[in-house]
Amino acid sequence: MKILVIEDDTAISELICMNLEAAGYAPIPLFDGLEVQRRLENGEDTDAALALVDVMLPGRDGFALMEDLQGWQIPVIYLTAKDDVLSKVHGLKAGAEDYIVKPFEVLELLVRMEKVLKRTGRGREKLLIRDVVIDLREHCVTKAGKPVALKPMEYELLVALAQSKNVAFSRDELLDQVWGVDYAGETRTVDVHIGKLRKKLDFYDVIRTVSKTGYRLEDTV
Amino acid sequence: MKLWKKMVLITAASLLVSAGASTAVVIYHAVRYNQEKTVESCEQQLKAAAYAVGRELDYEPFGSFSEAAADAYYAYVLQKYGASKYILIKGDEVVCNGTPFELLRPGDARWGSEEGCSVIQEKENQYILIAGRHVPATGNRDYKLVLVQDISSVYADIRGQAFFYLAIYLGIAAVMAFLVFLMTRRVLLPLRELEKAARDISGGRLERRARVRTRDEIGVMARAFNAMAAQIESQFRELEAESERRRQMLGSLTHELKTPMTSIMGYADSLLHVKLGEQQQEKALSHIYRECGRLGRLSSKLMCLIGMYDNVSIRMEAVCVRDVFECVANLEEENLKKKNLTLICACRSGVWRLDRDLFESLLINLIDNAVRASRDGQAIFLTGGEEKISVRDQGCGIPPEELPRVTEAFYMVDKARSRKNGGSGLGLALCERIAQLHGARLQIESVPGEGTEVTVRFPQMKTTDA
Repeated sequence: MKILVIEDDTAISELICMNLEAAGYAPIPLFDGLEVQRRLENGEDTDAALALVDVMLPGRDGFALMEDLQGWQIPVIYLTAKDDVLSKVHGLKAGAEDYIVKPFEVLELLVRMEKVLKRTGRGREKLLIRDVVIDLREHCVTKAGKPVALKPMEYELLVALAQSKNVAFSRDELLDQVWGVDYAGETRTVDVHIGKLRKKLDFYDVIRTVSKTGYRLEDTV
Repeated sequence: MKLWKKMVLITAASLLVSAGASTAVVIYHAVRYNQEKTVESCEQQLKAAAYAVGRELDYEPFGSFSEAAADAYYAYVLQKYGASKYILIKGDEVVCNGTPFELLRPGDARWGSEEGCSVIQEKENQYILIAGRHVPATGNRDYKLVLVQDISSVYADIRGQAFFYLAIYLGIAAVMAFLVFLMTRRVLLPLRELEKAARDISGGRLERRARVRTRDEIGVMARAFNAMAAQIESQFRELEAESERRRQMLGSLTHELKTPMTSIMGYADSLLHVKLGEQQQEKALSHIYRECGRLGRLSSKLMCLIGMYDNVSIRMEAVCVRDVFECVANLEEENLKKKNLTLICACRSGVWRLDRDLFESLLINLIDNAVRASRDGQAIFLTGGEEKISVRDQGCGIPPEELPRVTEAFYMVDKARSRKNGGSGLGLALCERIAQLHGARLQIESVPGEGTEVTVRFPQMKTTDA
């Protein structure tokens, strides 16, 4: 899945690309506003599913790029150091799907991207981890072609981990994302469900425990 | 009490008092004069009458007249000279009285004096003049003639005049008081304008000035006030501009800090939480290292800039310019080699008064900028001349519309390129500050595509030939 990463600072651009690759996306780094405009006009990269756009760009700033990207119906998430309310309002009013202020956490970026993709109907339909296929539309999981029976919470947990694969979640993050912010359960619940997933899918070496943090679903990039 | 009320009251009161006093004096003198004139004329009459009466009484056969005949004769004589005015006294007895009055003490010595004596008596608003004198040439007989006349009319005249004067005086006083009131108001009008202007200015309308064109003290004060207002306004605008610059600088600073921080945090986060390949891990680490270096450079330049704003402890010393140039050329050697550039130094040897460290950093900053702007194989010229030092390159130049802003802190003409080449956006701001501390000025001339020349001009630099 193609993601446009429009960011003039090479270090940040590489950082984003590195993490997107790890999570299973195909990032395309672009550094200059005018370059983006030119490429879109030439019909290149118009099939991108999402654009991460820095507001302050050389050539043509992020707000101005909005119309070019909307022309191809590419949803936009702004990624910027400007964290004043006015800029946020301006960005969101102009049609951005989300607004992330630097510095950001990798997990936050991935989760927000996933939400935007889902909302705009561009979410991934199938997630593939080794021989396990998660069909997001049918809500079913197969391992080596054979269906695996998962309880609803186990399924949600697996999807959360698989959508941001290779990235570690803390137990609290998983509780928030899967069970909801209002859930008053303990982090033990997470451990129990992780244990069941490992057993049912034989994911003992796929869902890794990351010391001092939580869990990570690891897969080759 | 308001000033105009005070002025009107004081002026009107002093006018009234002085005019009233002088009028009173005039009236008093008029009274005295009229009175004296009347008395004098009466005395003259009396004198003449006494003389004439004396002559009549000397009439020889008179001595042998019977008492009744004598009384008749007295009456006849008085009648002859105006009996209604006179009283004739013989010894202590009134012998004939033609007046409607009665003399209380006919024996009074005053009426018997040779020179005559006069008294004015006031009774029930009637003023009566009583004058008496000895009747001369009457032998042994002691006769006195007393004149009694009602002189009330004199006083009545004067009283009438006095009322007339008073009416005129009051009328004029009223008119004067009104005029004084008008004039005071007029004179004080500019004060009110001044007050309004002051109120407006304290209310925030700094461009307001007092519209006073008089040449008096108030006018002088108004001009001083306007000058003060202008001074305050310009200082306020300066402060506003300065605080706006600071605000922008702070905003830029936050942005400049956030960019490397985003990288450092992001890579550290990735290293901690994301499964990365060995190569990627190395890349992340090297990014963290590089971005930390950038933060370090930024903070040291910033410290330098802030230090120079707050603490002006520069050490001016006599420095040989040629030494400085050599030193700078040595420091830049490596930097130049990377891009295959040549630095061409030319200067008259001279000793200038400079802070050596700061000045070296100024030149290094300028040369760094030139290096960033230049392409491989080009030359950079460092020239020292009379009262100026310039750094010229043959690089990409600066677009004319960007020129005025390049010395602003964190302003970068081409952000992406500048950062890649290690620019912080603070170099020229630093240079300008250093130049200022030396009493010098930065002058930047640039033609896009042909190159840039930055000149440091020293207006009053004392150079001594070594």
